[in-house]
Amino acid sequence: MSGLLLERLVAGRKGFRLPPLDLLVRPGEVVALIGPNGAGKTTLLKTLAGLLPPLQGQVARPGKAAYLSPPGSVAAGFSALHLTALGRAALRRWSPGLALADFEAARAALDRLDVGHLADRPFDRLSSGQQQLVLIARLFVQDAPICLLDEPLALLDPAHGQAVEAAVRALAAEGRMVIASTHHLPFAAQADRVVAIGPDWIDISAPARALGPDRIRALFGIEAPACPCCGQAVG
Amino acid sequence: MARLSAARTTAATFAIALFALAAAVAVMATGPLGVAPDQLAAALFGHGSPDAELALTLRGPRLLAAMTCGAALAGAGAGFQILFRNPLAAPDLLGVSSGAGLGAALALLLGAGAALVQGAAFAGGLATGAIALACAAMTRSGDGRLALILCGVVAGALAAAGLGLVVVVAEPYSQLPSITWWLLGSFTRATMAEALMAVIPAGIGAAILIWLGFRLDILSLGDEQAQSLGLPARPLRILALCAAALMTSAAVAVAGLVGWIGLLAPHAARLVVGEQAGRLLPAAMATGALFALLIDRLATAFGPAELPVGLLSAAVGAPAFLFLFVVSSRRS
Repeated sequence: MSGLLLERLVAGRKGFRLPPLDLLVRPGEVVALIGPNGAGKTTLLKTLAGLLPPLQGQVARPGKAAYLSPPGSVAAGFSALHLTALGRAALRRWSPGLALADFEAARAALDRLDVGHLADRPFDRLSSGQQQLVLIARLFVQDAPICLLDEPLALLDPAHGQAVEAAVRALAAEGRMVIASTHHLPFAAQADRVVAIGPDWIDISAPARALGPDRIRALFGIEAPACPCCGQAVG
Repeated sequence: MARLSAARTTAATFAIALFALAAAVAVMATGPLGVAPDQLAAALFGHGSPDAELALTLRGPRLLAAMTCGAALAGAGAGFQILFRNPLAAPDLLGVSSGAGLGAALALLLGAGAALVQGAAFAGGLATGAIALACAAMTRSGDGRLALILCGVVAGALAAAGLGLVVVVAEPYSQLPSITWWLLGSFTRATMAEALMAVIPAGIGAAILIWLGFRLDILSLGDEQAQSLGLPARPLRILALCAAALMTSAAVAVAGLVGWIGLLAPHAARLVVGEQAGRLLPAAMATGALFALLIDRLATAFGPAELPVGLLSAAVGAPAFLFLFVVSSRRS
């Protein structure tokens, strides 16, 4: 499988456009997307997902793309298990119901992320962190090699944050292409590459370079102390 | 919040449906021309006593119309509530009821017969729903649900204005009473042919909604989620809306404006079987059939002059809705 290929892609909405972007994301790769609020991270992710049309250029997707909105933005009164099993809906084109195999796959995915005990609880009653893990479990059962995660770590406590980070890396380890926007710089530091969106520039670099204090100053206008061992800004 | 397994929700739905059937048998056994259950069964298979056959011919269509109407309104209401993720969504969300009322009133004004009035109401309801859908399709808001609600309000308001005009123009002593009675809602006017004219479109709509099942759950998450899950959100939502509008039009055409069933029955069913569309729709339809049946029985309980079903359904439905809301809010 070839990767997700962006050629001179200009993402944007009415009255707002990002600089052109060339990028190839390979299967198994985690790309972190950083930049200040309003820089266009969500617009770019939605364009990659096909939810917004590109203003210019092209997106070549080697498979289906799934977009996951930030924690707390999905509301559903039914059970976490059912919500997870809905990830297989595209496989059940004309069927009046989901198959037993779908629920088995969903339960296995929930167990894998240690949220199996929440399977029968209504999704709305879970904490943001638990909800996020359930939604990532849904990505595991979904036939979508491209996973576009919009601030998957927002609102989460450190423990749930770690669990979600591990889950995101597990998605990639199975050969998916993962792009995740984040304000959590230690997560970006663990990514394979970092795409930084500034006011009028986009930069693609290795984390060590992208997260240096000078870059962070250019991006956010703040002074972040450099880590004494790796030289990266400490977020 | 109901936390029931699939097997138990299925059992609960069957229990409600059985209860509705039992209520239907009980209704047939009481009142004028009452038939005992065994006689009723014999008459259904064509070899009952003459009395039982007569009762079935005279009261059967009304019973069928009431249960169909209740089930259709409840199913459509449940469909709208799921699609719009709004507990106040009712079957007339797209202005369908007002449109059907306008169609019927126009037909009555022109002196049409019963079948034509029903046909005009059905067409009026579907046309108003189509106008609302078409207007919503012209907008470009991100998630189409708000546009649909607003366009439904607009289409319904236009139909209501037209209805008001018909009422003003109508001859006050001959035409107005029949229009007013039609609008207040009743199951009495249904013959077997008219009841079947409601059963068929309502059944088609119900079959579509039940087939949509888990897809409705996905649509309730919003368009972005639906597309991310690989579902064509817009065509599926339009299909669901058409099915719900078909059911509502069929119900209003045979019974007039019977409110609150479509709001109340899904909420009652939700307390028992939870929010999943595949479980909620059948349970809501069984509950709606039961509710309509009981309301219709109540309408005949106050002496020889029958009360309009539309009045009773609101008088009973509104407090019952409040009661359910209090119960469900305390449970959660």
